[in-house]
Amino acid sequence: MMAAAGARRVLWQRAAAQLRAGVAAAPRGARAASDLPKELMPGPYPRTPEERAAAAKKYNMRVEDYEPYPDDGFGYGDYPKLPNRSLHERDPWYQWDQQDMRHNWGEPMHWDFDMYIRNRVDTSPTPVPWHTMRKHFLIFLTTMLIMFGVGEMYPSYRPVGPKQYPFNDLYLERGGDPNKEPPVVKHYEI
Amino acid sequence: MAAGAGGRSAAEAYRPNRYVSLPAELDPAAYDASPEKRRAEAERLAIRSQLKRQYQLQLNDPHRPAVIEDPALIRWAYARTQNVYPTFRPTPKTSFLGAVFAIGPILFWISVFKADRDRKEKLIKEGKYKRPLSLF
Repeated sequence: MMAAAGARRVLWQRAAAQLRAGVAAAPRGARAASDLPKELMPGPYPRTPEERAAAAKKYNMRVEDYEPYPDDGFGYGDYPKLPNRSLHERDPWYQWDQQDMRHNWGEPMHWDFDMYIRNRVDTSPTPVPWHTMRKHFLIFLTTMLIMFGVGEMYPSYRPVGPKQYPFNDLYLERGGDPNKEPPVVKHYEI
Repeated sequence: MAAGAGGRSAAEAYRPNRYVSLPAELDPAAYDASPEKRRAEAERLAIRSQLKRQYQLQLNDPHRPAVIEDPALIRWAYARTQNVYPTFRPTPKTSFLGAVFAIGPILFWISVFKADRDRKEKLIKEGKYKRPLSLF
């Protein structure tokens, strides 16, 4: 009985040791074999012109077009800085590989691609310049707010008085004694 | 290029910014037909055609995989998730932004809740606190 319990404890410890070794055997940052090779994945900011050319080729861009985000330590790495245009501006009649995303296979995606989809932010040009729209909106908003504020400070309404009831201020309806004379109520002055 | 009021071009009068881009009709680069631009466009077209060809080969393959992986999508997802920590560097700007947006709100809400609770405690101690009706 004691020997069997001792054997079970040894087996358990051996299994735990194998589990710990298995977890430590895979190096940090290991990815599944189905992913792209490391040369085709984004990496650190390119410092030399050769790294720049390699990064441009990796992202399927011309070397002249490739411009990484500035190396401010924000975590962009060598990802290209594409113009901040939303998908609304892309040609709706061209046969994209992915028509709803207006995106071709292998084309570098904007860092904020999920913000610029057609359900969200739209940067397409407007008929009226943006600063004109902003100016008109702010003029309207401030005028309305000022008028509401002034209306709160100096309210103006038709003169009101307390409500007047007939039949001597509803003497009988309010439970007055029908045998007694009701007090006379006059709501006017002549 | 027709000059607007005061000699400004229409593109300058439009003033594109982060929220709207310049219309193509007002952009002088759209009317530029220099050989350099044409060569650049030809190179871009060549890259685009190569990619199209690769995609079409995979698409029309009788044994095509169920999902045609897009390396651009994989790179985009990797760059936004796993490539941020290795390329992050603590600089004055990132430290300042981290303090303002990560630590600032926590300290702010701690102080707000503490001040509110202290005010209520003071009112209760003085006997001036009116208990709100609660069904629980």
